[in-house]
Amino acid sequence: MPKRYSRTALVLALSPRTFLLWLAAALFVAYLALIAVVMSYAALTVEFAQSVRSDEATVAILEREYLSEVSAITSANYALVGYAKPVAVLFVPGAPGTALR
Amino acid sequence: MRAQFRLRIRLILVCLLLVAFLILTRLYFVQIIQGDEYAAKADRQFASSSSGLFDRGSIYFTRKDGTLISAATLATGFLVAINPQTLTDPEGAYTTITAAASSTLMRDAFMTAASKKSQVYIEVAHHLSESAGKELAAKKIPGVQVLRERWRTYPGGVLAAQTVGIVSYGSGDSLAGRSGLEAQYESTLARSSDALYKNFFAQLFSSAGNVLVDAKNVREGDIITTIEPEVETRLVEDLAKVTAKYSSKESGGIIMDPRTGAIYALATNPTYDANDFSNTKSGLFKNPLVSNVYEFGSIMKPLTMAVGLATGSITPESTYKDTGCIQIDTRTICNYDLKARGVIPMQEILSQSLNVGVSWITAQVGTEQFRTYFTKLFGEKTGIDLPAEGSPLLRNLQSPRQVEYANMSFGQGISVTPIQMIRALGALANGGAMVRPHTVSAVQLDSGVVRPIDWSGTTPVFSPEVAREVSTMLTSVGDHSIAGGAHRIPTTSFAAKTGTAQLVNPAGGYYKDRYFHSFFGYFPSYNPRFIILLYTNDPQGVQYASETLTSTFVDLTHFLIDYYQIPPDRGVPTAQSASPTTL
Repeated sequence: MPKRYSRTALVLALSPRTFLLWLAAALFVAYLALIAVVMSYAALTVEFAQSVRSDEATVAILEREYLSEVSAITSANYALVGYAKPVAVLFVPGAPGTALR
Repeated sequence: MRAQFRLRIRLILVCLLLVAFLILTRLYFVQIIQGDEYAAKADRQFASSSSGLFDRGSIYFTRKDGTLISAATLATGFLVAINPQTLTDPEGAYTTITAAASSTLMRDAFMTAASKKSQVYIEVAHHLSESAGKELAAKKIPGVQVLRERWRTYPGGVLAAQTVGIVSYGSGDSLAGRSGLEAQYESTLARSSDALYKNFFAQLFSSAGNVLVDAKNVREGDIITTIEPEVETRLVEDLAKVTAKYSSKESGGIIMDPRTGAIYALATNPTYDANDFSNTKSGLFKNPLVSNVYEFGSIMKPLTMAVGLATGSITPESTYKDTGCIQIDTRTICNYDLKARGVIPMQEILSQSLNVGVSWITAQVGTEQFRTYFTKLFGEKTGIDLPAEGSPLLRNLQSPRQVEYANMSFGQGISVTPIQMIRALGALANGGAMVRPHTVSAVQLDSGVVRPIDWSGTTPVFSPEVAREVSTMLTSVGDHSIAGGAHRIPTTSFAAKTGTAQLVNPAGGYYKDRYFHSFFGYFPSYNPRFIILLYTNDPQGVQYASETLTSTFVDLTHFLIDYYQIPPDRGVPTAQSASPTTL
């Protein structure tokens, strides 16, 4: 019946040189993985940063349109578009004021 | 055998620990002791900063519902550069670039650039849109480079241009805020050149210490102003109309919350388009509301009245005999119409804007107390968060001559900036305390944290009772005196006063026929939400401020009541008693 060894015993059974070689190989792979992750992160960051900037610029264009619309409404001559000044204004009861004298 | 194996393992572990310790020691020296030196070296070797792409924080207007609208932000697009050494067909390149670029590209300038064979990079067109830039890049013209570009843009154009300010090249070769909020908050808006590295791997290790605490994260951000874009637009439009109608040298206005000092709108005319200021006269970049001093005339009278009441020299029931003109020292001071009114109460001094009346109050107060109060009102700058605040001219407060104090009582011989004036007048609307006017409410840091700015400090000048007495008088002026009471608002009280000052003649004295018009008011009178200060400098063909600025003030008041849904504070009629008011 073959003798069974635990996992720890198997590791300890490796020669120190083999153990260190495996360790170095594992670290090298991890190092490459780290580089890959960092480079991917860099690429995505640049892409996202530009995307955010582009979106902000698009919003700025919309904001410019909004402000020019506000300006157009403010400066509109209502008489020219068919509205007439009311001949009288009637102040009607409304909600109670918060600062009554 | 087993003991020998253990010994080997322990030996290896000791070796590993020793190596690890050596590495840690080395890392300590590299990262901590020599960290700065290596970081700089890494920057030079691996990291090329992205300063080519302009970056800067935004400035926001704040709508009444809290929505932020950009006042200054960044636009993205492309620039076009040529390499004269590899440009084979300048004529064809010029035609293609001109078709894509919205800005005018001069043919002669392009051909001159293309002929400079010793150079490899000359920028020939800027601010191409995304689509135009990508379309041009797709044509792959030899010797033509299409590169990404970012630049400052102001969606509002002329809106609060002098307040927002500009970014431009100064004496150096870097873009920076040169005026307005752009300059005032430069340290917050500017972005470090090392914000984005092309080599992130180098950044990861060279800036490892910044991961936990980065100083720029608590400094860099966006600016949130108190300026409301629709109110600002209204003010800009109204001031443009005044300037155009009366051919004034300039007009200006400020709308502020008298309780907090938050400025909703401030504008002057003429102004400039912040997106195209290449042909703007340099003087226009200065903000007259903050930097220029003026003699405001009769809107100073309510402050004189308040000083009289505060010192106990007069009461609202006091009377005096108005003779139309009085002799003080060697000078004669008269009412605007030279007419005598006889024995009249204090209210009439403000209602009829009587110079003789406020001169009489000043005599009752005495020069010492007058100096004390006016020094408190105008003796120091407001501290507004805009650059180049002007200093008031208060030399006459040191004069031994009574006539100088009489002149100051109706706003002549004392020069202050519009922002100082609205701050002082705001005391009447704020229970006697002056607030700190400001245009920025918070800084939104890049980390996402919004850091409010504390503007809560006030300077008490008058008692709340005095402020209320003067408000009552000014409300009567609004209801009955301005345009004969034609602009009275049945449901909202407003306190107001006009001012007409003679302009200073540089040759000495004052012009007889050139004026500075001002108008101020706040509403609702006894719990004000807004205070408005307007002025127009040297209007033509008109003498009094009541003619030039009343309709503008009334228009702004009605607009603000509607826009902010200010609840009525008086005279809400019942359905039965309501009767139409004829316009």
